[in-house]
Amino acid sequence: MKYSLWREQVLPFTLMLGLLAAATIAGDFVLHRFNLVWVGRYMGIPGTLLIIGSLYYSLRKRKYVTSGDPKALLSLHEFSAWLGSLMVLIHAGIHFNAILPWLATVAMGVNVISGMVGKMLLHRSRLHVQSEREHFQLRGLSRPEVEQAVFWDAVALKAMVQWRKVHIPIFVVFAVLALGHIVSIFLFWGWV
Amino acid sequence: MSRTLKFILTINLVVLAVLSFVYPSLMVGPGKLIAGHQKINADCFACHVALSGVQSEKCISCHKPADIGRVTTTGAPVVKPLTSTPFHQELTSQDCVACHSDHAGVKRYQMQGRFNHDLLKKGISEKCQSCHKSPTDTLHQQISGNCGQCHTQSRWTPATFDHDRHFVLDRDHNARCVTCHVRNDYKQYTCYGCHEHTPANVRREHVEEGIRDFNNCVECHRSADEHDIRGRGTDRGKREDD
Repeated sequence: MKYSLWREQVLPFTLMLGLLAAATIAGDFVLHRFNLVWVGRYMGIPGTLLIIGSLYYSLRKRKYVTSGDPKALLSLHEFSAWLGSLMVLIHAGIHFNAILPWLATVAMGVNVISGMVGKMLLHRSRLHVQSEREHFQLRGLSRPEVEQAVFWDAVALKAMVQWRKVHIPIFVVFAVLALGHIVSIFLFWGWV
Repeated sequence: MSRTLKFILTINLVVLAVLSFVYPSLMVGPGKLIAGHQKINADCFACHVALSGVQSEKCISCHKPADIGRVTTTGAPVVKPLTSTPFHQELTSQDCVACHSDHAGVKRYQMQGRFNHDLLKKGISEKCQSCHKSPTDTLHQQISGNCGQCHTQSRWTPATFDHDRHFVLDRDHNARCVTCHVRNDYKQYTCYGCHEHTPANVRREHVEEGIRDFNNCVECHRSADEHDIRGRGTDRGKREDD
């Protein structure tokens, strides 16, 4: 059976993203079911702290810090960003009030997806398309024929490369919007 | 990140920042304000104090406690008061946000409008009838004051009236009040309100035992337990040969 980039890579990725959505809905349901909606109100705080903590990997990757195993930090980055996002999504719930925090939530969602694209698909997909090209060339196909054979996989890869590019800019947007939301909470809410 | 992208990003964020200041209720406000506060929709600091949240002093500057429930903030008499008796004048402290919130999004989390008797001044909370009308059933019409003997201040029902002192309501008598106390008359009761007890079968069983006076059932029977029969100072009630 022919290896398909969509079936082997995109589908698992979609399922993992679906798990985030399902966990969000389940978390929101549990809080409502047990009359604990107020807990969701405070889940934005640990969620934000987890996302901030996940940034240590980004600093390590860009050599702003030197300690820590990059591979372990990447795993930690993925896990804490996923869990933090889950907490923030439950915190947001389905209550549409102010625009600013919702824009921040959308930006966070895009950021999570772009991160997952980078993590799960990009590297393996590049290798896959390259090996497919080599395979067809070895079979004696001409260059246009090779390109024709890997056309849809190449299209998927190109889309993913573009998608991956938004990870950092959209994180900046998310950070600024989230900061605006946090500042407005400190400004208008009575903590004591 | 390319320079163009940085520029577009900065422009977008600046636009959002400006919108937040121009339309704060839409951009950062947690939902609509109540109808009466629409005029101050864009003026967050009409109620909020920076870094401290909503302060009661701000509320009281418009809503004078002495007037609440009597006259509106414009001085007009309240036509349809939300409570039968004004009570804000009798509160121990003027902590408005303890009970009230304004934004639709915040109301979900708050005990909106839920009155707590603990907020009333000492002595006032014991005078139930100064705010509440006594129920019209015959049981409550006989009682004046001392409501706390049966009812809590958090909820009217369930009452703490000890029915077991008169008759134990076990699983055999897990019935509605009206089954025994018809027409809300708690002074009277009947044991013939269910299919189990009929005047004929009760008469037959008592006559077999030689008991003639069996009209006041609970005088002898304080529960469904057939072995727990107390009688009038005797073991077996009033027999014909007594």
